[in-house]
Amino acid sequence: MPTELYNTLSQTAATNNWALIYPELILGCLALGLLVLEVILPKFSHGVIPRIAILGQLLLLGYILVFDRTGCTHGVAFGGMIELTQTAQVLRVFFLIASIFVCYLAMVSFENKTLARIEYFAITLVITGALSLMAMSNHFVMLFVALETATVGFYILVSYFRQNALSLEAGLKYLIMGALSSAILLFGIVLLYGAASNPALASSSQDSMNFDNLHAFLAANSTDRVALIGMILVIAGIAFKIGAFPFQVWVPDVYQGAPLSTTALLAVSSKAAGFAILITLVEVFAPLSAWLVPLLSGVACLTILFGNFAALTQRNLKRVIGLSGVSHAGFLLIGVIAAQAVPQATAWVLFYLFAYLLGSMAVFGSLVHLPKAADAELELDDLGDLAKKNGFLGFALTVGIGSLAGIPPLAGFIGKFLLFVAAFKAELYALLAVAIVGVVVSIYYYFGVIKGAFFEIWRFQDDEEATPSETAQPGDLLTWLGRLTIGFALVGSIVLGVFQGPVGAWLGGW
Amino acid sequence: MNVGIEHYITISALLFSIGFFGVLLRKNTLVIYMCLELMLNACNLGLVAFSRYHGGMSGSVFVFFIITVAAAEVAVGLAIIVALFRKRQTVQVGELNALKG
Repeated sequence: MPTELYNTLSQTAATNNWALIYPELILGCLALGLLVLEVILPKFSHGVIPRIAILGQLLLLGYILVFDRTGCTHGVAFGGMIELTQTAQVLRVFFLIASIFVCYLAMVSFENKTLARIEYFAITLVITGALSLMAMSNHFVMLFVALETATVGFYILVSYFRQNALSLEAGLKYLIMGALSSAILLFGIVLLYGAASNPALASSSQDSMNFDNLHAFLAANSTDRVALIGMILVIAGIAFKIGAFPFQVWVPDVYQGAPLSTTALLAVSSKAAGFAILITLVEVFAPLSAWLVPLLSGVACLTILFGNFAALTQRNLKRVIGLSGVSHAGFLLIGVIAAQAVPQATAWVLFYLFAYLLGSMAVFGSLVHLPKAADAELELDDLGDLAKKNGFLGFALTVGIGSLAGIPPLAGFIGKFLLFVAAFKAELYALLAVAIVGVVVSIYYYFGVIKGAFFEIWRFQDDEEATPSETAQPGDLLTWLGRLTIGFALVGSIVLGVFQGPVGAWLGGW
Repeated sequence: MNVGIEHYITISALLFSIGFFGVLLRKNTLVIYMCLELMLNACNLGLVAFSRYHGGMSGSVFVFFIITVAAAEVAVGLAIIVALFRKRQTVQVGELNALKG
């Protein structure tokens, strides 16, 4: 028996392919390196550490883009825990870009604060590594551990301003809701494991948490009730992560209270990771699609309607962005549903995610330079005349919001258009109708933001003392690095809108 | 009486439901937190039972990961609750309502 066990273990160990996950290993080492640097560098030179974090990630990103665009070796590794696919490689690049950008945002918003700041960058790097492992996972254990690594990191990042009651309250809300959704996901996994490991049923397997084995089991037993409940619970847990109805209640509160850089990371990376795993799981659950498709369609409809109509009445900028993110999750869900019938739709979902990333980067990049940036009370009126005070930031905000809204020459328009084409090809006409209503409604609140940036808000001028908006101007902290970062998002949003060729080919869609 | 797998799974589902409704209905943050732990442990019980009766090891191994993750979650969660209590002098959910709109 011991030799048998030893043989099994050594066979499994032979499938370990550490070269496959080198970006995640480098991210982890970089995160630890930052903490070491904090100890050994003298206090006055701590400002260089965030720059090292950004530089390290840029080098990694450059290496992947130049030498390893499609993933060095596709395939299953680590005893079936991980499967590297083209989609996972694309998402790896996505998470890296988002993480570099979030590091920049954090660098700017921590400029005038007395806080422990190095940990923020270290945790951001760890979360990024965990999210891209999550996108590669091919086994429920891997999925759960990667998901929890990221989620626990997010608890810390959301409540990072620990002197600020709002940030802490947002942290607590995220903690309770996040732990609740993890538990629901976990119970779903337990039921699926239990159903698929039952020796009395056909195609059952000892290692039934592996996605391939689970798929084989579901194909043979597509009416198993325990597995069906398990699937619904797993989808519910994921729906929470992407902020889909009815698990979206946490989104506005947490987005508002969290530091701006954390809001950006939550809005972009966390959501994309949720969709990465949803794309994988929809394939695994394909034999149950008689239940899965109506379930996801209903969720998508309600998500789009809720996100857009709830955003109409908001005055707080971060809440508007949060609720618009909810409706984006609805649009992406349409793409995920359509992917069952239209194979290119997966690539179109990825394109939409990139458009969403660039648009959000432009918006968050200009918001962080407002005088009240880190404040949870940032209202639409506080934008007051941004375009006149700083033309570059005003332009960036307009292009970003325009891209999120889907105004024609920008990337967001192409993203929405492709998803609608996918929905049309998959004959999801009802969903398409709801989505178009959603887009029309969304124009109203998106233009509220643009209006805030271009028109001065009339105020009583009777208080003599200088208000913060007179002492600090938007864009005071805007350096060449900031112009470069925001400029990248701007150019990306515009170029991807008119010319998608090479990127589209890379995503594998056309 | 013969104790079979269905008994374990019933208990597991029951514990999970108690935890779930506890999270939704209780007002004290610490009690909510205990309910969350109860849900995770209900999952552990289910995994071990399935693993034992269906003859695979992966469920039992998964339990170790869940215990570790739960410990990490408690460490961060209690820190947040303590920091919030210092700031606001309350752990009642009803009084923590500064964020709304």
